[in-house]
Amino acid sequence: MKQYVLGVESTAHTFSVSVVSTEGEILSNAKSVYKAAAGSGIHPFEASQSHLKAAGKVLGEAVEESGIALHQLEAVCYSMGPGLGPCLRVGAVVARTLASTLDKPLVPVNHAVGHIELGCLLTGAKDPVVLLVSGGHTMVIAYSGGRWRVLGETLDLTLGQLLDQFGRHSGLSSPCGAAIETAASNSSIYHRLPYSVKGNDVSFSGLLTAAKNMTDSGESFESVSFSIQETAFAMVVEVTERALAFTGKHEVLVVGGVAANAKLSDMMTKMAARHSASVSLTPIVYSGDCGAQIAWTGLLAHSRGVQVPVREASVRQSWRLDSVDIPWRN
Amino acid sequence: MPYRLAELDISIRHQRTLHEAELVHSARKAGVRAPRLYYIDAPRTTLVMEYVEGQRLKEFVSSAPEEEAGKLFRALGRDVARLHSAGITHGDLTTANVIIRDSELVFIDFGLSNHSSRLEDHAVDLRLIKETLVGAHPSISSMALERLFEGYSREAGAKRTKAVTRQLKSIERRGRYARLS
Repeated sequence: MKQYVLGVESTAHTFSVSVVSTEGEILSNAKSVYKAAAGSGIHPFEASQSHLKAAGKVLGEAVEESGIALHQLEAVCYSMGPGLGPCLRVGAVVARTLASTLDKPLVPVNHAVGHIELGCLLTGAKDPVVLLVSGGHTMVIAYSGGRWRVLGETLDLTLGQLLDQFGRHSGLSSPCGAAIETAASNSSIYHRLPYSVKGNDVSFSGLLTAAKNMTDSGESFESVSFSIQETAFAMVVEVTERALAFTGKHEVLVVGGVAANAKLSDMMTKMAARHSASVSLTPIVYSGDCGAQIAWTGLLAHSRGVQVPVREASVRQSWRLDSVDIPWRN
Repeated sequence: MPYRLAELDISIRHQRTLHEAELVHSARKAGVRAPRLYYIDAPRTTLVMEYVEGQRLKEFVSSAPEEEAGKLFRALGRDVARLHSAGITHGDLTTANVIIRDSELVFIDFGLSNHSSRLEDHAVDLRLIKETLVGAHPSISSMALERLFEGYSREAGAKRTKAVTRQLKSIERRGRYARLS
């Protein structure tokens, strides 16, 4: 029989609630996104206040749109981490309240695993090499021996942070990825920037400093945006290529907020073609943070008995995805 | 078709080809097995090298008995320490870049190699091996790492090994959401 679960996401700038079914239908995916002031990043406390204000409305919308009554839910799932403490706590409060009021199991979900599993559901990817690129993560990942394993990652900034910090330096407000993509598409002037690949790992801090210095010394925002994309995306595509060659897998899946960037997907597609591998891109609506990634992954976890007593349902600001057992993939 | 911008792609390949040519030679001088280099065609970013017949460490360890695998990882640690003592970092130390020929290790793929005696660079080398072992060979990773550091320590000395291990921990702590003591 078809079952339903509800998922709550609130790791960073997005508060979102979604209802999904065991058949993989996303019945609703309501969200509210905190927008930082121009030139500044996410202020964790202010973001949490924004989530608190929006929580009731977003929850109501998600339930109404799904057409599923709360008592029909099998479980309540929430993003336990990793993320910003004040933001995570809002989601945890909402989920704990629902679970105890409805007397349903409470399922903790790792946000990063959520990106990957939702990407697999939406694209049909079975056993991919995953590039997870967002404000919180830049990792190359593949499943092996009961866990999603990290094969490469950033040694300092994430790709999302690189784009945001560069954008903010030029007066934009986070998230800046879309504005940088647009600006980049209006230029084809390439400035040399540090290209830092260390084995399977990347480093962006030198690139960020060099890019900021370039705009400060008068190079156009468009041309530096173009150069950042060409350099940084080539770096993450190269480490994905290394992981693909190393593991011998045949699928690449790109997930996380930066997966929405057309330039990145274009480069990834060219790379994968050389290895006769397929590329799956998460649809833009679901590439950023959303409740559906938590609901769907929570549903998978719930099917293998994963749950946490309400009393112990805290949050974990630091929680690496390679420390999470994935019983549903065995 | 390259996925990188042509200008960037050419410069990266050019740089890596020259590095590889130079460092594969330096590695041999340091007493580590690596393919002989026959010919460099820099304009075409092409190297002609000896063909190394054997199985990659990656495939070998997945079928080898634990004791035999352990010996190889000890030898791997020793050879990496030899490279480091000679001021060479390999830069791409995965189990796919080491070939077993007549029960000896042969290192290939020096495209990301560099001359460096910095602790940080040596630790980055070891971090990649660790990442590969934990990520791709989880069932043997703790045994393999133990043997690897034994071999490294025997060659580089306890003091240097301690320092490089500490640096490795510090790099891992920089990782996202890392929880390390």
